[in-house]
Amino acid sequence: MTGKLLFDGAKCSACGACAVACMDQNDIDTDSGQVPYIRAVCREEGLRFEYIARMCLHCTVPPCADACPQQCLYKDRQTGLTLYDNTACVGCGCCAVACPHGAITFRKTPDGPSRGRMEKCDACHIRQEAGLLPACVRACPTGALRLSCTGPMPDKSDDFERKRK
Amino acid sequence: MSSPDERLRAKIPGADTGITTKNSVCDICAPGPHCGVTCYVREGRIIKLEGMEDHPVNRGLLCTKGLAGRQYVYRRDRIMTPLRRVGERGVGQFEPITWDEAFREIIPRLRTVKEEYGPSAVAFFSGYNKWYRPFLQRLCYSFGSVNYGTESSSCFTSTIMSWRLATGESFAAPDLRNAGVFLGWCYNAYYSAYLMQRGVEAARARGMKIIIVDTRITPAVEKQCDLFLRIRPGTDCALAHGIARELILTDRIDHAYIGEHVHGFQPYRDYVMAFTPERVEELTGVPAAQVRQAAAMIGANGPLAVNHSGAALVHSGNGMQTHRAVMALTALTGSYDRPGGMIPAPLTYAHSMAGFTTLDHEFPLEKYPHHQPRPVGAERFPLWDELTGEMQANDLARQIREGTPYPVRAVWAHGMNFRMFGADGELQKALKELDFFVDIDLFLTDTAKLADIVLPCCSSFERGEFKVFGGGYAQFTEPVIKPLGQSRPDDEIICELAKRLDLDDDLLRSGPEACVRYILRETSIDLDELKKDRQHPHRVPGFRPVPPGAHGFHTSTGKFELWSTVLEKYPRFDPLPTYRDSSDGADPEAFPFRLVAGARLPHVLHSRLHDVPWLRSLRPEPMAEISVEDAAALGVHEGDRIEIETAAGRLSIAALPTARVLPGTVHIYHGYREADANALLPPYHNDPYSGFPGYRNTRCRIRRAQEVME
Repeated sequence: MTGKLLFDGAKCSACGACAVACMDQNDIDTDSGQVPYIRAVCREEGLRFEYIARMCLHCTVPPCADACPQQCLYKDRQTGLTLYDNTACVGCGCCAVACPHGAITFRKTPDGPSRGRMEKCDACHIRQEAGLLPACVRACPTGALRLSCTGPMPDKSDDFERKRK
Repeated sequence: MSSPDERLRAKIPGADTGITTKNSVCDICAPGPHCGVTCYVREGRIIKLEGMEDHPVNRGLLCTKGLAGRQYVYRRDRIMTPLRRVGERGVGQFEPITWDEAFREIIPRLRTVKEEYGPSAVAFFSGYNKWYRPFLQRLCYSFGSVNYGTESSSCFTSTIMSWRLATGESFAAPDLRNAGVFLGWCYNAYYSAYLMQRGVEAARARGMKIIIVDTRITPAVEKQCDLFLRIRPGTDCALAHGIARELILTDRIDHAYIGEHVHGFQPYRDYVMAFTPERVEELTGVPAAQVRQAAAMIGANGPLAVNHSGAALVHSGNGMQTHRAVMALTALTGSYDRPGGMIPAPLTYAHSMAGFTTLDHEFPLEKYPHHQPRPVGAERFPLWDELTGEMQANDLARQIREGTPYPVRAVWAHGMNFRMFGADGELQKALKELDFFVDIDLFLTDTAKLADIVLPCCSSFERGEFKVFGGGYAQFTEPVIKPLGQSRPDDEIICELAKRLDLDDDLLRSGPEACVRYILRETSIDLDELKKDRQHPHRVPGFRPVPPGAHGFHTSTGKFELWSTVLEKYPRFDPLPTYRDSSDGADPEAFPFRLVAGARLPHVLHSRLHDVPWLRSLRPEPMAEISVEDAAALGVHEGDRIEIETAAGRLSIAALPTARVLPGTVHIYHGYREADANALLPPYHNDPYSGFPGYRNTRCRIRRAQEVME
């Protein structure tokens, strides 16, 4: 069973580990301005500090898929995730405008559109298929990121203290 | 099932993708918490990495910094060959040369300085990291120079000195598993010790109380603390005394322990009585009621464990005494060397603590050159000299430039970074004046650009090395990839130099592994056995940690010394951990703000990660954190430029207004080329006990930067 990412702001410190793990997993090209598929940030309001993650929530009815004129984005039946094939992407940015979570990023390539081709989180579903955790969940040092499924996937953050005897 | 192409893109290890996994260690930060790393390797290159699942230190986790290890190793400015300077110092014009050519130039030039000025005119310096330090120290002494020194002249050693004065032992760690109350002085593990945050969280779940003392509202304050004491930078010593006074007056101290194990309680008691909660409030900004509350919480919830702060607490003009004052609370409550308190931890190997001892200390010292002058800094910082015997590198710039008490004309350095020093412009100038300067580094840094010869060393992923880990573990690591270009491990470079200099040191000349065997010869570690599996740390045979209570006190009185019998010999020092102004002494009217240089961020470490693009993207521009109130008064918004000026200089930087910092304070991370916070420290702003620069408390003023009209 493939899981979605779950985020617990109470445990997050906006340390950036998830973002860097995502950069490493997906070779995010920060030099050209690309941002990773997940970014946890802290918002301040007076003395209130709120931690939020900008990431794909794999909406049941994904507005990005509806907005894309090239039909790059789709709901994958098997995994329940919002996946994409950006071969036909023209970099119009409609998906990014439609997404309420700021989850879409663009990668510039010499042969691609000037804005770059859209990319986003795929919940590392191929890693999950291979029995591995998504890169960001694997990396999160505070346990703020988890996987929604309760299948055979071991969640190392739960038993960290038990093992660290 | 995904196709092999998809699996390759997703970096799945397997025969179909040609990706294998190999374990190594991350050595971006200090050696104590080095974490195991699993590298995904394809065609000889690391393509991804993650925390090693079954490593006893990190159990699969990794921090923000370590997760960028791949880009760190493949940084664009990695040095691929030895280099010889062809332009002016600092410009960065070099020509590639061979290792042989490099040594052919180095050997006569080091010998010339030695013959003309004496062996101690050559200083041997280690920046970060620390893994090769026993080798470098021995090289220095075998060469005949006393001037071995490190960047630990600014980090960690002050706490070691403080523990040595109090207990004779080098270090003690909080026993979080059994503590009843944790005094998190400068504790924000979320940014600087991510694994400790998990330990504290587990202890909190079983009911441990947590008091945090900090000037910033950090994630640890938000998420983990029962009582937050928000303090003005550099005034911590007064707060510790205030808490001590309350503990004594409310009779929450351990009389039996004090009677048996503590020296100097009476004069200490008399001294701290002046620190009433009201006076402490005046000095520190912590409300009097909270001082009482903290003492009551400690008194009601022992045993007391205290956070170890290798940097923040000791980075003021009164840093070492402040650390002593805080650790005195463990003596009062009888929690030093007791379960749930502070557990003494001897250094094992190359600045790591693993619960057992080796000959790592003796290995360099047996070559110590007697009949030489005292090391650099001994006159200015005599306590440092007595307790460490090493060069206090914060006096190096002065001695190079003034030539007193004797000349230093050449420096052999590994990973030197002048921006780590207070008043770092002085060191930059001094390095330019040297007769000869060799720097060994992974990257062509701004300090390396000042060198005559630059030698390329490799990262932890490219070498094999002996490592120890907490809990009695040892490993001989294995290279994950070949060294980049012609880079070599530092220990090999050191042994090669010993050979080429034809030093009277057969052991060092015979190479790193022979030295490691020598250092381990009184342990139960069989290196050949250890090398059979280089992928994992192994528990040292027969390892048994020393139980709490069995360590004893290795001071001249055989007790925990609140009154130091070492310090009483020095007329200029106070035997008690006294409070005094820890700033640089600039006029508070002219410089009403306090500059805190080096306040931690989760994605940087000194300057070594500033040029790693992934990490730099998390905060592209250096920023000064100022309070929301001060920003409003100045009319400054996020990203606006402000000018920060101290008695020593000024810089311009983007402002980051935040409720996290106190009004009247400015926090800047250090090591940025374009906004060098440490350059704002005056050259005399050092703790006289330790020599550490007062990074965390320099008086300053700030203003909105003037628009430049041209």
